[in-house]
Amino acid sequence: MNPALWLLTPLLFLVLVGPRRRNALALVAAATVEVIVATVIAIGDVDPGADALLTTDATARLFLLVIDWAFVGVVVYAWNRARVDTTRPEASARRAYLGIAFLVAMNVVVIANHVLLAWLALEVTSLTAAPQITQASLPGSRGAAWRYLVFSIVGLGLASLGFWCLGHGGADGAHASMRFDVLAQTPAPTDDPWRDLGFALLVLGLGTKLGLAPMYSWLPETYDEAPAAVTAMLAAVQFNGTLVLLVRVLQIPGARDGVAGDALLVLGLASMAVSAGSILATRNIKRLVAYASINHAGVIAIGLGLGGEAAYGVLLYAVSNAFIKAILFLSIGHIEQHYQTKQMRDVGGLIKDLPYTGLFLMVGTFALLGFPPFGSFLGELLILSALAASGQMLVFAGFCAVIATTFIATGRSVFPMIWGESRIKATWSRQRLLPHLPKLVLLIALVMMGLYLPASFNTLFREVAASMGSR
Amino acid sequence: MSTALVVFVLVLLLPLFLASWRVSLVGLASQGAIMAWLAYDRDGVTTVADGVRLVDLGLVRSLIVPVALYQVMRARGTSARNDVIAPNLVSWTLALTAVLVGFRFAAHMPLPDSERPFVAAAASALLLAMLVLASSERVFSQVVGVFRFENALALFELSRPEPEAEPGFRIGLLVVLAATLGLARWYLRTLTPTGDAPAPEAP
Repeated sequence: MNPALWLLTPLLFLVLVGPRRRNALALVAAATVEVIVATVIAIGDVDPGADALLTTDATARLFLLVIDWAFVGVVVYAWNRARVDTTRPEASARRAYLGIAFLVAMNVVVIANHVLLAWLALEVTSLTAAPQITQASLPGSRGAAWRYLVFSIVGLGLASLGFWCLGHGGADGAHASMRFDVLAQTPAPTDDPWRDLGFALLVLGLGTKLGLAPMYSWLPETYDEAPAAVTAMLAAVQFNGTLVLLVRVLQIPGARDGVAGDALLVLGLASMAVSAGSILATRNIKRLVAYASINHAGVIAIGLGLGGEAAYGVLLYAVSNAFIKAILFLSIGHIEQHYQTKQMRDVGGLIKDLPYTGLFLMVGTFALLGFPPFGSFLGELLILSALAASGQMLVFAGFCAVIATTFIATGRSVFPMIWGESRIKATWSRQRLLPHLPKLVLLIALVMMGLYLPASFNTLFREVAASMGSR
Repeated sequence: MSTALVVFVLVLLLPLFLASWRVSLVGLASQGAIMAWLAYDRDGVTTVADGVRLVDLGLVRSLIVPVALYQVMRARGTSARNDVIAPNLVSWTLALTAVLVGFRFAAHMPLPDSERPFVAAAASALLLAMLVLASSERVFSQVVGVFRFENALALFELSRPEPEAEPGFRIGLLVVLAATLGLARWYLRTLTPTGDAPAPEAP
């Protein structure tokens, strides 16, 4: 039996869903089982084999760790919210069913070795995420959820068309394989317009799901309107699931040679520019981090477009950002819960009012901005150095200018929230550390990626980078 | 080009020029029925996968989707008029151009002759669906755009026989389509009071 099938175990927890007090716990239990299985597969002595449907190759093992650890952090936060505030929707049966289905589907995306299976599973994650974005108390969230759904359908539709073009095989009528491992071993044919079109559509379609310009407009609204836990789930988990699919596409020989490589550079730089302008304009903390997510997607796209020596940096950056976004969105959830606002000018003195939240927002912002010693710093540095080495000096200059703008705009808005004067006079109950423990675990992982990666994890990063063209 | 594909292209175009939501639903139903006929005519029903595809095209897309959307619109007492694209000369020209571009695309790509008309019609359908989605402000029109988009993808898949047509995948696609319909119905019912008011911008 393929060991990856154990990742379907959380489906058993669907039977626990029902009474309100049990639902959030069922989700935590499902996520815990999933993270244990994922960790054993990733760093245990499990045969990294592949069959027609599933694979536990290095890409799968690395991203299983990322998405499942981030998901555990998110559901523990949601469980705590549901425990503290019984009016919150986190413990509803609908959210528990959808959450477990989302978790399993996301894991299937990561371990899928068949194009159609990966695509179907990603479609399921979108269909299960959309209803979770909706909050009964926020009518605007329905519009955001619908917009998310439409963009997801269009993005994944374009991606499926891209796969169809890749499999077309030209005028000779031959079909290409639908197995990722076979595709990654197939030499690139010369001058096949279907292939070029396929890769371009895949970049555009999956880019839509990642929030790359020009089809990014769903992202700020969705991240803003959804509950904090769902936003963190989309930003840290679904983003990386989609990224796995894009990485698998770019592992196909010759993927970057045509229009796709250039498209990734252009879309990446455009996304960064759009996000920098929006960060300057926004006064809403959740939107600010949402725009920063578009910025990250842009940096990752540029790194993927470069490939080769940038691959290791892209992986460090992507994994770091999964944890950064989870830490930031969950911290923003706490801020929203206490201050009942997302407006940055209404929040001040967090470090005194809510010390743990303030601390995590501060550290998360430093990591977001690419400060050392976080993995995001090292990742960004490696991408920049690969960009300079590749001679793409125009992109390099644009990249540096946008990063500098983002740095100033984010610092200007966020730091007064942390160290400024308290604007709302209230007596807060003392914050307990326990609800923040998942964020602490993610933070430790984040620092480790910048300072010291244990050999087994480093090998995993290197194997994936090698599959993307790194030496 | 076969008569069925010519009719398919007409069915794509006509609802764009007639400002009625009922006509839009008839258009969706006709697209599904024509695709079901094309699939049956070429492959028959020799495998389980063929059967599932026929259910998908002939039952779900041509009957269940339009009827399910009709029920919501009827229940909400929506007025008969509904433009899926803006009713002006620019939009109509763009629609006709989309069809032309679709056919030029198929003419230029390396394809067996038997596939060329399918790809031309599918590319036209895809571009028209994108046009509907890009220019629609109303939820219903966006829902129609989404299902036009899904139909265009189905026609692309239909353009050549699948070598690995596993029934499991076909069932999976069918379930995803059904779930999309369920969510579309829910949003159509709850997003706006009458289901026809402006919706958030779509791609």
